[in-house]
Amino acid sequence: MDPSEVEFLAEKEMVKIIPNFSLDKIYLIGGDLGPFNPGLPVDVPVWLALNLKQRQKCRIVPPEWMDVEKLEEMRELERKEDTFTPVPSPYYMELTKLLLNHASDNIPKADEIRTLVKDIWDTRIAKLRLSADSFISQQEAHAKLDNLTLMEINTIRSLLLDSLNCMFKLRSNLQPGSSKGQFMDY
Amino acid sequence: KTMSDVLSDDGSINQDDSQEDVMTPAELIAKLEEAWLNEKFSPELLESKSEVVECVMEQLTHMESNLQRVKKGDAKASVHRMEIDRIRFVLSSYLRSRLQKIEKFFPHVLEKEKSRGEGDPSLLSPEEFAFAKEYYANTETYLKAVALKRMPPNLQTVDLLKAVPEPCLDSFVFLRVKERQENILVEPETDDQREYVVDLEEGSQHLIRYRTVAPLVSSGAVQLI
Repeated sequence: MDPSEVEFLAEKEMVKIIPNFSLDKIYLIGGDLGPFNPGLPVDVPVWLALNLKQRQKCRIVPPEWMDVEKLEEMRELERKEDTFTPVPSPYYMELTKLLLNHASDNIPKADEIRTLVKDIWDTRIAKLRLSADSFISQQEAHAKLDNLTLMEINTIRSLLLDSLNCMFKLRSNLQPGSSKGQFMDY
Repeated sequence: KTMSDVLSDDGSINQDDSQEDVMTPAELIAKLEEAWLNEKFSPELLESKSEVVECVMEQLTHMESNLQRVKKGDAKASVHRMEIDRIRFVLSSYLRSRLQKIEKFFPHVLEKEKSRGEGDPSLLSPEEFAFAKEYYANTETYLKAVALKRMPPNLQTVDLLKAVPEPCLDSFVFLRVKERQENILVEPETDDQREYVVDLEEGSQHLIRYRTVAPLVSSGAVQLI
């Protein structure tokens, strides 16, 4: 999956905006939005929030977890634990990037937030690389990955899956006459 | 006319020929996205979701024709247009995924479709079936014209079922559990390992071989991610 496709999914998450215009309810195929009244908060999907923000029709309210103290705590916890800690949002990385790139003026301490989220990401990806390495070398057949986000899984996807499939191919060719011995070569 | 005038119905679909269960449009789009992800990550071609595709096309056509009737610059029109574009992207990507697999595994896909039982769900939509047959015929013609006819007489045929690799069902996949499953068998990777069972809790995520969970993907009990 392309990272932009993961971002596409992240854009469906809801975020609060403060519009500066009036509009009655919109009946989208995916659900109803609004009504919109100047100054009154309303929940919309991120893809719409970004579009409205770019057209200067709203202010974006950062999600609760996008707060320096909360993120510092999460970073400490993530660094302490060997396993993956629960994430503030299944799309924390994408939402941080999207909201900070388009609405940093609406987010207090945006630079600190960017750094904190990157630190959390780096710690988790380092753990993921270790897990993937051990999964392959121990030749495990199953793993539970509850707290991993789609973006993190996607980062390791092709390396992990291609290695595992390659190893399976090599192993099954050791046994002559094993079924499904015909695989595509890349 | 504004969008408000034009969209007065509650948007629920399948009001006339309700052979299928009535789904809200939002549920329909969710089903499309699930099918999209499953098809993208599954090593084999999955069952055709023609009903979902047709209903989504209906919703898009309906919405697009509404947009035609609205005056330019209507505030809501651009929002609807953005949503339509997003849905179209998922739909196109889903259909492209399927076409890629049809081309990659064409003799096996045709064989599977020809040999399925009466009551079994279709692997291919009618259009995809026609495409697969054409692809098969064109490939045969091409191989004949380019190489086979110059071979010695006893080597002029190619069994495409044997020549074209089958999908590798032993590929690993990532999944999220939608409905709790108990006692899923995990086969050992090496000879000195033993097989064991795991329970799949609702909402949990796993990395496992596709072969074991293929029926669960089909039934919707798990979602590939």
